[in-house]
Amino acid sequence: MTTIPSNLWSIPLIVAIPLLAAIVVNALYDKRAIRYISIISALLTLGISIISPYGYHWFTGHPAFDPTTFTFTFDPGIPGFRLSLEFFFGPMQQIMIVISSLILVFCVIMATSGLTKHQGPYLAMIFLLFASAAIIIMVNDLYHLWIAVEIGSLIVVGVVVGSGTSISHKAALKYAYFSAICGSGLAIALALLLGITGFPNVSDVVRVINIFGVGGMETILYISFGFFILSWMYAGGLAPLHPLKSEVYGASYPHATAVLQAQSKLMLVAIGIIMLRIFGTLPFVKEVMIFLSIITMMLGVVIALLQIDFRWIIAYLIISHSGLVTLGIALGTKEGIIGGIFQAVNDIIYMSVLLFCCEALYYFGGATSTRGSFGIAKKSPWLCAAVLLGAFAASGIPPFNGFQSEIILIQASINAGFPEIAVIILMVSVTTLIALLRAIYRIFLKPPENEVAANAQIPKSITIGTWLFIILTIIIGVYPDIALRFIVPFVEGGFLP
Amino acid sequence: MIEVTIQLLGFIAAALLLIIGIAGMVFLDNIIKKIIAFTLLSDGVNILLVAIGYIEGGVVPILLPGMSTVEFTTHAALVFPVGIVLTNIVIGVSTTAILVALAIMLYRRYGTLKASVVLKGERR
Repeated sequence: MTTIPSNLWSIPLIVAIPLLAAIVVNALYDKRAIRYISIISALLTLGISIISPYGYHWFTGHPAFDPTTFTFTFDPGIPGFRLSLEFFFGPMQQIMIVISSLILVFCVIMATSGLTKHQGPYLAMIFLLFASAAIIIMVNDLYHLWIAVEIGSLIVVGVVVGSGTSISHKAALKYAYFSAICGSGLAIALALLLGITGFPNVSDVVRVINIFGVGGMETILYISFGFFILSWMYAGGLAPLHPLKSEVYGASYPHATAVLQAQSKLMLVAIGIIMLRIFGTLPFVKEVMIFLSIITMMLGVVIALLQIDFRWIIAYLIISHSGLVTLGIALGTKEGIIGGIFQAVNDIIYMSVLLFCCEALYYFGGATSTRGSFGIAKKSPWLCAAVLLGAFAASGIPPFNGFQSEIILIQASINAGFPEIAVIILMVSVTTLIALLRAIYRIFLKPPENEVAANAQIPKSITIGTWLFIILTIIIGVYPDIALRFIVPFVEGGFLP
Repeated sequence: MIEVTIQLLGFIAAALLLIIGIAGMVFLDNIIKKIIAFTLLSDGVNILLVAIGYIEGGVVPILLPGMSTVEFTTHAALVFPVGIVLTNIVIGVSTTAILVALAIMLYRRYGTLKASVVLKGERR
């Protein structure tokens, strides 16, 4: 039996480096050093998440109790109660954090070179956003889950306010209100589960429910599930709370939206899996989750069709594709969960391509409205090619990565006895393509009727970031095993060793 | 007949504060009143947590000299809810600060604190 590291050095660093970077850049406020410190910190985080071994990190020092030998141990292989607040870094966590930190690297480069020059507090928010996402995907206790959701939500408010428009202030206030309600709801859910089981650790809670049953406490469990669902909808932007998140996406700078949508996907996956582990055996739980996923997919894509601005089209498509992620997890089968997590990874990548292209449009005087026609394809054919490839990846067209995850989700839906869901997934893909191509034709391909900046200089960071992520979409599309070898062991191993 | 205990009273107080808080946040139009309603909601969560951790005749969860482990495990109050309450107070203060800051920014722009006016949709 291989020993799993129990005091993993890298887990605190993955969270602490962005936190320290946030403190430093916030204090520097407007100094040029912010750029270098930010980029180095982001690269360090990326490097650590790549080289880190897999294992646990415990807080609070409570060892596990081994019921067979009546001894205390930190060995995660012992099936005793852990009584601890713990973090786990495994293959699934690794791929999610690596992709998110890659986006973080390009986000801080873009933020410090382009639209939001030398804004320490703004960059601090971006780092904190990443830290909250990293915490939430690694966490295995309800206490840290709640804190990460609460803090993550407050930081989203900060990032949105950072873009400084009246729409962003309104979006931030609405989001902060619901953050207050849903965060308190998650605290109540935590309290109820603590009251029933006596444990904050998710593995312990699951073990208590499986071994001892809930003994007439089903109602309390359902109330707790209700609050979890509320937090899931709010944190991930699921219907009917999707307007909150779409406003947040649309009101922020596109480079910040790239990190925001990555954080949302990580939250959806993390909370979804924890819900499945704790409440998965209760009747109607999966049905509720599937229903919410389908509504989100359909509403998101239909509202995207009605939008007249490229930013808002992407915002609603992110919402719609969040439904694909949650659908896979909600199906509850191994195939479904693999498809859901794979979709989350792919979605983060191709949505970043589209968002980076949207950021580039700001350098043409903000030519994002589909009511005008700007003929940008002539001025920047590479940008037009990039946005087209991003649109194909988002629509699930082979050989891009979106195709691979959507085909797994379609197979999982059919195998789970829901062929009609497979049809809905196909409809979402086709509608995504229509919504994007309509906008691309207007902004890029149609002969120009509106004036744009003639000599727009798109920063190299945007070009490099966009094409790097396009290459990733193609590589994962052609060789899906590159990503699946991180996800499959996590799901087949029962989520945790 | 249900025995009225301190814990039960705690649950009732928590439920009342939660209901008043949520109703205030949803139905009141004034942004400042909404923020005050949130503080009630947050206090309700804190009382719920304290009530869950309460043990009749319990002791502070510190293993003192001369106390047997059996005595300690039987009478010690749950320590974890207290930690959550402390965290919730900190998060509550942070959320209130952010909400008030946003309210000030929007008041400067619109000259009113009515949520129905301030949060009215804008044409994009």
